[in-house]
Amino acid sequence: MTSHPPAGTPSGIVLEHVTKRFGRTEVLTDISAVLPPGRIYGLLGANGVGKTTLMSLVCNHTFRSGGTVLIDGEDPAENPVVLGRTCFIREDQPYNDAFKVRDVLSAVSWFYPDWDAALAERLADRFHLPHRTTCKKLSRGQRSALAIVISLASRAAYTFLDEPYLGLDPSARGIFYDELLLAYSEHPRTIVMSTHLIDEAAGLLEEVLVLHEGRIVLRADADEARTSAFVARGLDSAVTALVGHREVLSERRLGSILSVTVRGARTADDESRARAANIALEAASLQELVAAIGIGGIGGVDTESFTTQRTSR
Amino acid sequence: MTYARRSLRLYLANRSYVTLIPGGILVIMLAMSLVIGVAIGMATEFPLSAQIQEGMRENNGGAVYSIPGFLISLGALAVNRNFAMALAFGSTRRHFWLGTLMGFGLTSGATAASAVVLLALEKATNHWFFGVYAFDVAALGKGDYVLTFASVFVLAVLSLALGALFGTAYRAFGTKGALLTGLAAAVLVVAVTLLSASNKEIVGSWLGALGVWAAVVVAAIAAAISIAGSYAANRLARL
Repeated sequence: MTSHPPAGTPSGIVLEHVTKRFGRTEVLTDISAVLPPGRIYGLLGANGVGKTTLMSLVCNHTFRSGGTVLIDGEDPAENPVVLGRTCFIREDQPYNDAFKVRDVLSAVSWFYPDWDAALAERLADRFHLPHRTTCKKLSRGQRSALAIVISLASRAAYTFLDEPYLGLDPSARGIFYDELLLAYSEHPRTIVMSTHLIDEAAGLLEEVLVLHEGRIVLRADADEARTSAFVARGLDSAVTALVGHREVLSERRLGSILSVTVRGARTADDESRARAANIALEAASLQELVAAIGIGGIGGVDTESFTTQRTSR
Repeated sequence: MTYARRSLRLYLANRSYVTLIPGGILVIMLAMSLVIGVAIGMATEFPLSAQIQEGMRENNGGAVYSIPGFLISLGALAVNRNFAMALAFGSTRRHFWLGTLMGFGLTSGATAASAVVLLALEKATNHWFFGVYAFDVAALGKGDYVLTFASVFVLAVLSLALGALFGTAYRAFGTKGALLTGLAAAVLVVAVTLLSASNKEIVGSWLGALGVWAAVVVAAIAAAISIAGSYAANRLARL
């Protein structure tokens, strides 16, 4: 049982045994996690694993089927003070059809006392957002840019970003990453960001939560996560011998070439054996780690230590 | 109240749409009444005969019939268009609903005020100079300003609340839910009508006691039921 801090104290997000079902389909299963405030979290995982649903539950956009959600020690459900500290623009966020971009930006300012109008203006300029265009006519990239402008300028204590880069070209994504870090350093807050461009965003993330089949299967510091697996690539027989009985998260074959993602840190012995056998060894990137989890699937889960039980070679 | 006011501002963002158009519809209804009056006058005489004027005064219900269509759609749109935005910006469902309801009050007030102003003009111009009755009519209390304001206000609230009820039912329960809400409303109306018909004397005495305010009170009760229904559905509304 988690002991909760007094209500109102900035204490982050607490999830206890959170479950969400849509009809007979269980989308989220027994999610428990504590997200201390003032960090940038990456919510990672394949399509349909429940990333958006989890953020929706936290912000009470969707009703949970079971469990407890607390923000700063209070249940956010119909709690105006707590929800007033959140900003969650969904990837497919509906806007009033009649609203132009400038109308939306005006409207947001009414909801956030700390709304940074100057930042909104600057970001809108940098993303070349057309102020006089109605939201329904915006391109995919422009909708993402609008969501980024709202999220960052809201200065909400809990900012949720749902695939914020969709449709953005590389330079616009660069602007987003720069501005996110700048906004975060000037006004620290808790940011939860779901993303598929994991390697690109990896530098921003302080902690990652990887979802698979509605469960958190990896919760780790971003740097720690990167050292939690390595990739070995070479001749099938040599790679198989090197890996031994260690846990393989995923494997790919091309003829006699085998590439495996192995859980755990590589050792000095691994390095010397790999050199001798012409095997390429490298740290798994976050992207590779998440992809490996998505490909392989995971059984029993310990969300704190990533000690999931998988088939070992 | 601070939280509800944010959603009220959202409702009022397109101010002319929610405050001026209902009055505009009344002006269009007036224009149509004038065209009909001119057509009758051209076939008979100007000003219109006392008999025709009395007929218009008793039977012209344009002010009542012209309002609900637009306001029902406005009510349904208001709870759907802004709902997702309000939630994204950290509003609760309850405060979104309260703010929107306050907006309904303003729209209804503006509509009723428009009717009263048009009634005053109608009287001041001796019924538009040739005996056309559009607002000084039996349906609005035959020139009684208070009754005219109350009738239009309650009718506007009822229309907006009905629209909001269907809109929130759709948000909470999907298309089938909205359909079932419509069916439930129809069953309720039929049941009340049948009950009233089978208890004519009792209902007649109640309505008789209310006098000219009977229609306003009945509409107000229907509006209260719709508002309660939309509040209940709003608690379950989803994105």
